[in-house]
Amino acid sequence: MNLFTERSIWTMVHGIILGGGVMAAFTVALYCMWSVRAADGPSPVVHRQCRFLGRTLLVLAVALWLVVLIGTYVNFAPYRAAAPEGADLSQYPKSFIQSNESTDWLHSFGMELKEHLPWMAAMLVTAVAFVALRYNERLIGEHRLRGLMAAVLLVSFSLSGVVALLGIFINKVAPLT
Amino acid sequence: MSQQETSLSVTNGAAAAAFLAAAIGVFSLGLITLAGEFGWFSAPELVKGVGGLSGRSTMAVAIWLIAWAVLHRQWRDRQLSWRTLTIASFGLIGLGVVFALPPVWHLLGA
Repeated sequence: MNLFTERSIWTMVHGIILGGGVMAAFTVALYCMWSVRAADGPSPVVHRQCRFLGRTLLVLAVALWLVVLIGTYVNFAPYRAAAPEGADLSQYPKSFIQSNESTDWLHSFGMELKEHLPWMAAMLVTAVAFVALRYNERLIGEHRLRGLMAAVLLVSFSLSGVVALLGIFINKVAPLT
Repeated sequence: MSQQETSLSVTNGAAAAAFLAAAIGVFSLGLITLAGEFGWFSAPELVKGVGGLSGRSTMAVAIWLIAWAVLHRQWRDRQLSWRTLTIASFGLIGLGVVFALPPVWHLLGA
């Protein structure tokens, strides 16, 4: 097996580099949200944290959109390509997964979720990033706004985490090579 | 309200528009997906090989961005009810996610 085919490299960019970066950025953003909340009041440190939060969320939103777009427009077509009669199914991930009862759920459940949930997460994260950048240091005194931001961010994080895990399972069983 | 009070206050309208528009986008994608599963509406394949996902996602993103532009224009200098905003946003998000779950399709008879 050639590990570094074009398809394999795009899968690694999508899943490991960008997907892993997204999960790390989520963690950083959630910590930043908490540290602004936990501050004793306006101070130069909290002002810097607010600016850092805005930039982190912007990077997170851009990375998440790249994950979604690469996943949809680069990786998805080769994944779902129909296998010709008598072909080696290992080269056709969707057909390979569906050929076995024990792995069929990876497509009928896993990939169906992966098709739609990341788009939802990306839209939600974009909203949070916009609010952080627009309100910036004014977030310090707005606990209800921060609460709503944190809640939406947690929802996005959960959606992204679920699809990331499903992606690992799918790639383990039927990698794009 | 005096000018000084107005200049110190932070209206939540811009934030409300962003969150509610994103929630509308999420709900749209869920509803379009559900409609496809029931055969009520089939999104076009805009990119060869990607299937209906290219049409569904493009439609949802378009709805999201249009909603955001309209709501932001209407609400950017207004203060809206936190309670209404929270309930509306999370209600739409919840429904959108639920509509995208395959077990829900089977439960509803798709």
